[in-house]
Amino acid sequence: MNKRLQLGAVLCLLVGVVVMGAVAVKKTAAASTPEKFIHVRVNDVSKGEMVSVNLPLSLAEKVIPTIHNGNLHNGKVTIGNVDMQDVDVRALLAAVASSPDNEFVTVKEKDQEVRVAKSKGNFIIHVTDLNSDSDESNKSDKSDKKYEKRGQKVDITIPISVVNALVPNEKQELDLVAAIHALSNASEALLVTVHDGTQEVRIWIDSQNDGSK
Amino acid sequence: MILLAKLALGTLGTVVAAGGVISSEGFVSVRVHEKKPGGTHVSLILPAMVIDSGLHFVPKENLRDAAEQVRPWLPTIHAAIDAMKSEGDTTFVEVREENQHVTVATRNGAIVVDVDDDGETVHVSTPLRAIDNAIDQIAAAGPKN
Repeated sequence: MNKRLQLGAVLCLLVGVVVMGAVAVKKTAAASTPEKFIHVRVNDVSKGEMVSVNLPLSLAEKVIPTIHNGNLHNGKVTIGNVDMQDVDVRALLAAVASSPDNEFVTVKEKDQEVRVAKSKGNFIIHVTDLNSDSDESNKSDKSDKKYEKRGQKVDITIPISVVNALVPNEKQELDLVAAIHALSNASEALLVTVHDGTQEVRIWIDSQNDGSK
Repeated sequence: MILLAKLALGTLGTVVAAGGVISSEGFVSVRVHEKKPGGTHVSLILPAMVIDSGLHFVPKENLRDAAEQVRPWLPTIHAAIDAMKSEGDTTFVEVREENQHVTVATRNGAIVVDVDDDGETVHVSTPLRAIDNAIDQIAAAGPKN
């Protein structure tokens, strides 16, 4: 009887330790959720220039609601003349989100290609414009074979959760703060890349504070 | 002898307390180094409290324009500085050109600007708390609403 009591006490103790351990691990995991940063990197190979901007999403989340300027108030941008009264954008998005991964739109022209797709919880937009030559500096160095390749390529990947948060409400407002919050909860991702001649622009999210990725 | 010891202790206590007060806001550091032969080298480390105290002596009418411009942005500035304080060290902006390298970062509660080009290197470090206080003082210099 005494041994059974001792065994029971030891088992209770073990269960207690395991439960407390699990709670502690959960708390630690929650506390150590890494800060997310949005990075913007602009590279110009021909000029040897690089601009890098790294912004903590929490900073943007705190600062944007304090800005009251133009169409931006309380973290929301009012979009004026967009008539969407006949379109239920939220229902449309919900339908797209619940549909299987697919390429929804493909437009192919002589010098341009546009593709809109949904893949792994993201909206993906690819635009390739072979005619684009927007960089004036590129025109001057046409003799340089190294930078002969022309055209613009834009890839945009946006988590559907971010688009949902950004969708305008009844007051025709885009909720930037909600979108940033959704972005900080999303996984690390490359959001935008733009290749234009010798220039490359990248926007991505990760937990590095110096954009060293 | 005991009186001397008491005096020394009192003086030491005052110096330590004064040092603590002066350094409580951190230090502003400015370093300029011209790379040309015989160029200027300036290295200045000042208690950030000097900015605070110095602003008290600036005539208010000279700060009125700045106050009017800065006041609408006070909540934004405070929110940004608070968020920067709570963040770890972060490199916010880095610009690298052929002959120039510029970084704007936060390091140990201070905002640090480093410029390195062909002609000179410049380093400026200012505690975020000092910037916050200075901006508050400038904003307070304008007419009350």
